Amino acid sequence: MSDQPHKVVIVPCSGIGKTYGTVSREAAYDLVEDLRPETTGLVGLPLLVLGDEDARATVAACPAVTIDGCKLACATKMVAQSGGRVAHSVAVLDVYRRHRDLKPQGIADLNEGGRQLAHALAQELADIVDTLNSKSSPDASAPEGGPDA
Amino acid sequence: MPKYLETTVDKFTFKVATDRLYSAEGVWAHELDGRVRIGLTDYVQQRSGDVAFAEAKPLGTAVAVDEEVGSIETVKANISVGAPLAGMVAEVNPLLETAPETINADPYGAGWLAVIAPEDWATDRTRLLDPAAYFAIMQQQAEKEAQG
Repeated sequence: MSDQPHKVVIVPCSGIGKTYGTVSREAAYDLVEDLRPETTGLVGLPLLVLGDEDARATVAACPAVTIDGCKLACATKMVAQSGGRVAHSVAVLDVYRRHRDLKPQGIADLNEGGRQLAHALAQELADIVDTLNSKSSPDASAPEGGPDA
Repeated sequence: MPKYLETTVDKFTFKVATDRLYSAEGVWAHELDGRVRIGLTDYVQQRSGDVAFAEAKPLGTAVAVDEEVGSIETVKANISVGAPLAGMVAEVNPLLETAPETINADPYGAGWLAVIAPEDWATDRTRLLDPAAYFAIMQQQAEKEAQG
């Protein structure tokens, strides 16, 4: 059995030249490459925009966490339009409102505040991913005292 | 509900409410029962981007014309809002703290910044622009910006 259904797909904003878009992508890399490499996968928003079949199949098969860089919420809308299920969506601006001391600046290279904000966002999403996986894991529906007990 | 003058520049449509006066910098002033409510124009909020934080001077603060009466932090810029009239801050929009994005969503309505008890509204209003005059300035700025 493929382990794909147990992965959570992360879809960040594709806004190039936008600070908040960069924060979304840095957070996605942090989450997928460092914090939860075993339980997450990354799908680039441009692939969904282009109708890439593999990307569409992935978001159709796995719960998606979208990271939007602005109120247009392209990531969230595109996952839904691609037949995916948005299990959780977050806007970078809302995260910044909770971390006002971490003002992101820069585009290609984020400032220290932007990097820290991206990390804070990634950590928040790691908790979300854990929750989603615990809900979708076969163990979650097993009675207490099951195989792992 | 106010009526609007509207223009579309590039892919953006900008509205100017016809029931109030404006500073050239895009701060509106709407007099009601002797007090003046102020806020940012649709053009300024769109050009500035999503609002992250918004603050107005505390109640009771005296402000002169063009003196900072509030500040807005957006995803693109920090904006100092100059008072379009002299007076005292009589009310601050509570949504600035809890839902600053209301400035983007409803700049001429629920997204107002503050209410000023005017010092000399009769004089200050003569320095402000009527909707048509502000509309012309705004259109020029928007077209210039669209041309890069």
